[in-house]
Amino acid sequence: MKLTDEVFIAAPREDVYAALNDVEVLKDCIPGCEELVRHSDTELEAKVLLKVGPVKARFSGTVTLTPEEPPRRFTLTGSGSGGTAGFAKGGADVVLQEQDGGTCLTYEAHADIGGKLAQLGSRLVHGTAKKLSARFFKAFAERVTTSETALVPGRATSANGG
Amino acid sequence: MNDMTPEGREERRGKLKGLGHARRRVEDARFTQGKGNYIDDINLSGMLFGDFVRSPHAHARITSIDASAALELPGVVAVLTADDLRPLDLHWMPTLAGDKQMVLADGKVLFQGQEVAFVVARDRYVAADAVDLVEIEYEELPVITDPFESLQSDVVLREDLDPEAPGSHGPRRHHNHIFLWEEGDKAATEQAIESSEVVAEEMIYYHRTHPCPLETCGSVASMDKVNGKLTLWGTFQAPHVVRTVASILSGIEEHNIRVISPDIGGGFGNKVGVYPGYVCSIVASIVTGSPVKWVEDRMENLMSTAFARDYWMKGRISATKDGRITGLHCHVTADHGAFDACADPTKFPAGFFHICTGSYDIPVAYVAVDGAYTNKAPGGVAYRCSFRVTEAAYMIERMIEVLAIELGMDAAELRARNFIREDQFPYQSALGWEYDSGDYHTAWNKALEAVNYEGLRREQAERVEAFNRGETRKLLGIGLTHFTEIVGAGPMKNCDILGMGMFDSCEIRIHPTGSAIVRLGTISQGQGHATTFAQILASEIGISSDSITVEEGDTDTAPYGLGTYGSRSTPVAGAAAAMAGRKIRAKAQMIAAYLLEVHEDDLEWDVDRFAVKGAPERFKTMAEIAFASYNQAIPGVEPGLEAVSYYDPPNMTYPFGAYICVMEIDVDTGEHEIRQFYALDDCGTRINPMVIEGQVHGGLTEALAIAMGQEIAYDDLGNIKTATLMDFFMPTSWETPTYTTAFTETPSPHHPIGAKGVGESPNVGGVPAFSNAVHDAFRPFGLRHSHMPHDHWRIWKVAHELGLHG
Repeated sequence: MKLTDEVFIAAPREDVYAALNDVEVLKDCIPGCEELVRHSDTELEAKVLLKVGPVKARFSGTVTLTPEEPPRRFTLTGSGSGGTAGFAKGGADVVLQEQDGGTCLTYEAHADIGGKLAQLGSRLVHGTAKKLSARFFKAFAERVTTSETALVPGRATSANGG
Repeated sequence: MNDMTPEGREERRGKLKGLGHARRRVEDARFTQGKGNYIDDINLSGMLFGDFVRSPHAHARITSIDASAALELPGVVAVLTADDLRPLDLHWMPTLAGDKQMVLADGKVLFQGQEVAFVVARDRYVAADAVDLVEIEYEELPVITDPFESLQSDVVLREDLDPEAPGSHGPRRHHNHIFLWEEGDKAATEQAIESSEVVAEEMIYYHRTHPCPLETCGSVASMDKVNGKLTLWGTFQAPHVVRTVASILSGIEEHNIRVISPDIGGGFGNKVGVYPGYVCSIVASIVTGSPVKWVEDRMENLMSTAFARDYWMKGRISATKDGRITGLHCHVTADHGAFDACADPTKFPAGFFHICTGSYDIPVAYVAVDGAYTNKAPGGVAYRCSFRVTEAAYMIERMIEVLAIELGMDAAELRARNFIREDQFPYQSALGWEYDSGDYHTAWNKALEAVNYEGLRREQAERVEAFNRGETRKLLGIGLTHFTEIVGAGPMKNCDILGMGMFDSCEIRIHPTGSAIVRLGTISQGQGHATTFAQILASEIGISSDSITVEEGDTDTAPYGLGTYGSRSTPVAGAAAAMAGRKIRAKAQMIAAYLLEVHEDDLEWDVDRFAVKGAPERFKTMAEIAFASYNQAIPGVEPGLEAVSYYDPPNMTYPFGAYICVMEIDVDTGEHEIRQFYALDDCGTRINPMVIEGQVHGGLTEALAIAMGQEIAYDDLGNIKTATLMDFFMPTSWETPTYTTAFTETPSPHHPIGAKGVGESPNVGGVPAFSNAVHDAFRPFGLRHSHMPHDHWRIWKVAHELGLHG
């Protein structure tokens, strides 16, 4: 599964970058996140309650952040297991560009999923991932800006309704 | 009225409801009222429930299993893993194909959904909850889902096998190779093809699918530790074989095991094999001392118990310019999944695939089948067909169509030009079979006439013109098939399963008042044995089928038999029934002679009685004879009227049929509409026309499913993408077209009543008929072949690739 999107956040790039590295911010913004522990600058451990279609499970996993060119670009990779519900592993390339006084965040994520999650939810996984990511960025934008209209997802492709 | 007259005789014959009578199925009263007794209806006092922890990975090493949290859950009795089964040597079990299979994952998992641990709990829900609490750590390994890749890959799937050692079907040339099986004259075939004027070649994939019976697999094991007896109820298509296998595996003497197949809600090959669930329920019952039930859910059924097909068939067929076939060459790459658990007679690792010369007089042929391991579920069962016969029929019926394209010839004409002629039977095929009887030209002409074939071809040509003028977006396809099956396995000289010859059996007891109980070694899964076997006997012994009880499936009472699959019940057990009936009649004749004070030779059989030749008013009915057999001392004759017959068939039977499917296809949506489906079946002597019609309707609907959408699909990680009925196509009345059935009747010369078996013909012939209709619609636009299943998306893609979307 591949997921790409572009999100405009009405906050300076440094603020956005810092927030993306702030465990408290992430924990509040990741949908279903129950625990997020930082083990080192680059290692995080998470517990997330996920529901995809008929599959509901608590996923626990690790995330590795690799700052490629802070604050412009970083990558993350991770894997998680939801027991009998299945497993997921993947990563994302995130690029932050200064734009119109705010930040344009683009990401390219890829994920492999397995187990019941893939069997039952395959047609739902993509939609669910998009929905979760939209919820994350909405919450995230609210945290790093004061304005509720700061988030303009899919700005580059707004012709199709964003 | 005088019942000796022809009319009177007919009336007596009618009352018997014997051969040829459209007798209503006696099973239906209970099935249609929800009064069946299926495996999940069996509830015993103190019964526990088992459920599997299954692997989410298709290929991984197991680094740890922690069942402590599961065991703490109230109601959980035990959690079994391979380590618990190892001391009993039950962590692996033999497969029907000569391989072995893990009962519970031993160190690694080889397919998604593989059984890793067996949780036993006081109720089904607790068991399911506990499954979630068993913590297993895996270390992922590279996944191979493609058999061609598997045979090249460095990744070793089966680390338990010595890569140098031969398998049970000869040498293995690669660590993921299972066998190479060959039949026919390779050199002569290659020479014939190379020197031919026209050669057609095509790779034909018969995709992986699943029998998906409405009732999933399950078992209830009850070990009585006091008397040492194990009773095992289960969804078994071959209960007697299960008893023998259970005895060999467990060390319990066979007389101490009673296997019972209750009502079975469809089998279609899915319930032939022995599954880890059966073994685990037995072990759990032995360990706990309580009865243990295991019933798989739908996902488990589609994920783990036997799949069907998955054959990559590379065909080459050659002919003269005027369409005489000169040779057939076929190489198959067979994906058997993680363990070779195909259900075939032992000596035939590719089943009867070498029936692939079909209905045609092909002078020389050669087939080779390479079996490969992959990270997919094991199986390869005969899904409503005799062993690999659907694959064979699909291959040859597609190759005929491709050859017709190559020759620029009408495919109906090409078939007719190459059919085995009636005067050639018994016919010796190039691949070693002796076809018992057939009259293909008569059936074919009848079918073509019935659908007005020439008219359809004219309509199709007009449709193509209208399409080209932009007046319609719908194409018309005419799908032709003439199939020949090989069923009724089989003669003991070459057919056995785990060393047991594939005979079958029937035991008859006539009661004093002239009714009877009949027991057979087979087991109905919906075929209606209680109806039809009684009819065979009614005609043989002159007792109304309404007065004959048919029982199957209890190994303590029924005679040993090899079970029901591969359309073998009528050809083998049906023959045993007729032969046992004839034994009854022979004894009855002796009794009648004594009662009538004449010599046996002076008697003749007359529907339901023995009458004195030339004096038909002097007779004894079978009911009178039965009564006498129990209450009169007859010199030289034992009391009672019973018989048993074990029948070893001298040959297989070869049912055939001519099917024509007329299909409309919308090139823009890929949707299809079946306008007409004509199915002519020749199954030899017809026992019950109504049951035959029901069988044909059911089989055609399964064929429709397979051809038009049903598949077990995997992604690259080995995830099954079609593990629920949301994704796995099961036709409902909404998708099912109207069928027209017809018949010709060419009896089998070696079967006691001439019957050949019919339950699987419609699946064997239906799949190519539906598929050929799709191909035929696009033939005018240049399509040679496209792989099944022909779902809307794939049909749309075909249209798109042919440039039909502008």
